[in-house]
Amino acid sequence: MALRNIKFHQNSIEINVFYFRRGIVFWMNHLSKIALFTPLFLTFESTAQKNKKPFTIGGDMGIWYEGYGLDKAPSPAIPDFYRARRPYNLLRYSFNPTIAVGKWNIPLNFNFSPTQTNFTTPSFGGKQSVWQFLTNPMNSFGIRPKIGTTEIPLGTQFLKYSDLSTGDLGIFGYGVNLAPGKFRIKLFKGVSQRPVNYLAPTIIPLSDGVIGSYQRNQWMGQLGLEKEGKYFTGFNFVKSIDKRNSVSSAPLSPLDPQENMVVSFLTKVTTDKGWNYDVELGQNFYTRNLNTPLSSSPVEDFKPFMNSHISTNKDNAVMLGIAKKGKDWEAGAKFNYYGAGYYTAGYPFMNNDRLEYLANTRFNAWKKKMNIVASIGQRFGNLSRISGPSPTKQIIANVNVFTQFNERLSMNMSFNNFGFNSPNLSGYRSVSDEISINPVYNWSNSTMSHLISATYTWSKYDETILNVLTNNNTQTALILYVPTFFNKKICPDFSLMWFKNSAPLVNLTLLSTTSGMTWEPAPKIKLKGQLQYNLSSVAPFTSNKNLLATSGFDWNISKKLTWQFSMTANLYRFGTELPGSSLTPAYLGSPGYSESTLRTGFQYKF
Amino acid sequence: MKKYRLLLTVMMFLGVQVVQAQITLNLALNNRPQPWLSDWANPVNGQMIITYMLSPALNDPFVKLKTTLLDERGSIVGISNINSARIYTLRAGVNQFSIADALQLQNLVLQGNVQDLIQRTGRLTAGQYQLTVEVMNSQGDVVRARQNRTFFITSYQLPILMQPASGSTLDAHLAQNIIIFRWTNIIPSPLELPQYRVQVFEILPGQTPMQAFRSNRPLLDEPATKGTTQFIWRPNLPMLDSTANKQFIWTVQTLDAKEFPIPGMDMNTQGRSEPAIFSIMNQAGIKGKKMENVDLIK
Repeated sequence: MALRNIKFHQNSIEINVFYFRRGIVFWMNHLSKIALFTPLFLTFESTAQKNKKPFTIGGDMGIWYEGYGLDKAPSPAIPDFYRARRPYNLLRYSFNPTIAVGKWNIPLNFNFSPTQTNFTTPSFGGKQSVWQFLTNPMNSFGIRPKIGTTEIPLGTQFLKYSDLSTGDLGIFGYGVNLAPGKFRIKLFKGVSQRPVNYLAPTIIPLSDGVIGSYQRNQWMGQLGLEKEGKYFTGFNFVKSIDKRNSVSSAPLSPLDPQENMVVSFLTKVTTDKGWNYDVELGQNFYTRNLNTPLSSSPVEDFKPFMNSHISTNKDNAVMLGIAKKGKDWEAGAKFNYYGAGYYTAGYPFMNNDRLEYLANTRFNAWKKKMNIVASIGQRFGNLSRISGPSPTKQIIANVNVFTQFNERLSMNMSFNNFGFNSPNLSGYRSVSDEISINPVYNWSNSTMSHLISATYTWSKYDETILNVLTNNNTQTALILYVPTFFNKKICPDFSLMWFKNSAPLVNLTLLSTTSGMTWEPAPKIKLKGQLQYNLSSVAPFTSNKNLLATSGFDWNISKKLTWQFSMTANLYRFGTELPGSSLTPAYLGSPGYSESTLRTGFQYKF
Repeated sequence: MKKYRLLLTVMMFLGVQVVQAQITLNLALNNRPQPWLSDWANPVNGQMIITYMLSPALNDPFVKLKTTLLDERGSIVGISNINSARIYTLRAGVNQFSIADALQLQNLVLQGNVQDLIQRTGRLTAGQYQLTVEVMNSQGDVVRARQNRTFFITSYQLPILMQPASGSTLDAHLAQNIIIFRWTNIIPSPLELPQYRVQVFEILPGQTPMQAFRSNRPLLDEPATKGTTQFIWRPNLPMLDSTANKQFIWTVQTLDAKEFPIPGMDMNTQGRSEPAIFSIMNQAGIKGKKMENVDLIK
C-alpha cells in the first residue's frame, strides 16, 4: 500500500497527511455509530422519567464501544514487527438493574458482546449458535430473583463457594439458594466450558485451526450452618464432567474429556474479641481422560458420584488461617497445602504440589503518623518429587512504610524481596530485591495548591540458570508536579520519567515526559487531554520515538445519564534497533506504526 | 575373510533362535515417555511388538504378560499380578500392542510410597526406571520371551508469576511507559530452552478478572528472550485516562522447543500459569495518601 512510501524524519515524529486522512475516516466511521446511540439513550431517559412504575428499580445500564485502527510502515513486512492488539470494533452492552416488586428483589446482570474475542479459550471463525453465545465466557446473562430467604440464580452466575472448591468461573445454568434459619443450602447446575468443534489447521487459506473443547457441565452444592458475622460451617460439593457428545469433531489428545469431583469442608469463625479463624479441607477425584478404561485401580470408585478410570487420581488440600484485628493493628498467619494431584475444575489454573505459609501485619506507629504493612512467607514446591529429587524453595518478603511527617510532607517507602531456588533440579536460582522511595510535598496559598511527588525505585534481579549467573539491574525515577487552581476550572499535571535496565546484552534506557490537563468548562462536563513523548533505546542502537496523545470528555448529560469519550493516537517509530533493511521487502526508511483507539460509553443509572 | 566368518556365525545363531523360539518380544519404549502413566496408550510413548511364528512342534498362541518396574537402584517398585493378568491370543506373525498394555497399570501391584504417589498424582517421582516385560505361557509359569528397557520420567511444573505480584498496584505514570514482568523458571529445566510467552489482558467494564482472561484478546502476547524469565513491556497505553481500565490480568504460557504447550493438570489451560491481577493507580489524582486501614486478612 501507499504506506510503504511514508518516511519518518530522523529527529521528530511526523504526523503526516496520510495518518490525518486515515484518522479522519476512522473517527467519522465511529462518530456515526455514536450519533446513533445518543438519541436511543435520550429517548429511553425521557420515557423512564415520564412512566413511573409501581415497582422500584435501581442499578444501571450502558453501552460501551471501542474502535481500533493500526497502520504500519512498511506493511506487509516479514517479520511482522507489530501486530494489532485490540479487535477493530468491540461493542459491549450492560444491563444491570435491580428490580423490586412486592417482596421480590430481582437483580439482573447482563453483560455481553456480539464479537468473539476468545483467546485462551477456543474461538471459531463461524457464527456462534445461540447456545455457544450464551455459554461464551465473554458474556453473562444472569438473573437472581430473591424472596425472603430463597434465591433462584439463573443464567450466568459467578458463584464462589470456597477457595478449594469453586469460585473462579462464570457458569451458565440454574439453581437455588435456601437459608431457613441457620441452615444454608445451595444447589446449582450449569455449563462452565462451551462446546467448540476441533478444526484442523490449513495452509490454503492460512489458518491455525481451532483446538476445540468439550462442553463442561458442573454441579455444585453447599450444605452448611451460618450465623452472619459469627460463623459458617459446611460442606461443598462440586462435580464437573466433559460431555463427550457435545462436539461433532472432538478435540485431539491430549485435550481429553475429563471428570472431576471435589468435596471440601469449610469453617469460618469470627469472635467478638476480633479473632478470625478459617479452615478448609478438600479432597478431589480427578479423571484426566474419560476415554481410558474403567478400573478400580489405582483409585477406588467414589460412589455414587464417580466411577474410576486408570487415569483417575485423588489428592488433598488444606487451608488454614488465623487473624486478629485490633483498633490500630492487625496480624495474621496463613498456611496452605495443595497436593500434587489436587485439581478442581472451579479453579483450573491453580498451582498445586506446594506448601506455603505467610505471616502479615499492619500497624500504626509514631503517634499514628506512620503506617506499616509487612508480610513474610515461604513456599515449597515439588513436594511430591515428581519434578526432581528436591523441593523448590521460595521466599517472599514485603514491607511498606508510609509516614505523614506533617501536613505538607509525606513519604512512602517499600522493600520487596523474593527468591526462588530449585537445587539439584536444574541449578535454577533467582533473587529479586526492590526498594522504592516516594516523598510527596504539597503546599498552598490562597489561590492555588502545589503537589510535587518524586519516586525512585532500584531493583536488582539475579538469575542463575545452569550455573550461569545473570545480573539485571533496574532504576526508575519519576517526578510529578500537580498544581491546583482554586478559582479556575483547569487542573494540569506534568511528569518526567527516567528508566534504565542493565543486563547482559541488553541496556535499555527510557526517557518520558507527560503532560495532562482536565478542564471543566461547565459543571457537567469535564474535558481532558494528555500528551506523552518518550525516547527509548537499547544500546548501541538509536532511540525509538513515541508520541501518545489522548483527548476526550466526561459529560453528565443529566443526573442519570453520563457519556464518556476518549480518543488516543499512538505514533511509534523505531530507531536502528529495527532497521528497515532487515525487513522483507527491504524498507528504506525507519519502520513505524500508528495506532488509534476510540473509546466511548454511555451509562444510565435507573 | 574374518568378517564373513563372523557374519555367518551370527546368522546361524539367529537361525537356531527362530527355529527354537516361537515368540520374540520387541519393546520399543520412548526413553522419555509421558509422565502420566495412564497416557502410555498414546503412540508417542512407543509400542510393544510380539512376533509369533508357527512351529510344527508346538503351537501355543495363549500368553500372559508379566511386568516389573524397577527404580534406578534396581529395587522393584511395581510388579504385575500374573494370576489376574489378561490372556492374549496371538496371531501368527506380528502382534502390536501399546506401551500401556506392556505396563498393565490396572494390574500393577505397586510398593508403598509409589502406590500412594500414583493414587495421588498418576505419576512417578522424577528419575530413571527400568521396565521389564516377560511373555509367559497362559499358566504364568514359563517365560517365553523377555525384554528390559530403561526410561526417564520427568514432570514439569509451570512457572509461578512473581512480578507484578497478584493484587499489586502500579503507578499509572510509570505503567503507561514500562511494566516489568518476572516469573520463576519451569522446573526442571528442559534439555532445550523453553519459550515463554507473556500475555496481558485488559479487564473490561463489567467483567470479572477470569472472564477477561478467558474471553478477551490479549493486549500483549509476546515471547520473552528464549530461556529468560523477565519481560520489559513498553505498553504506550493511556492509563491516566478516565476511560482506561484500571485492572489487568497476566500470565506466562510455557512452550517446549517444538512450541507445544507444556502439559499441566488440565490441558485446556495450554501451558498457562496461574494468572495474576494488577491494578493501575493515578498518583496525581490522589494528592497525598491518607492512612489506609486496609483489611489484610480476608
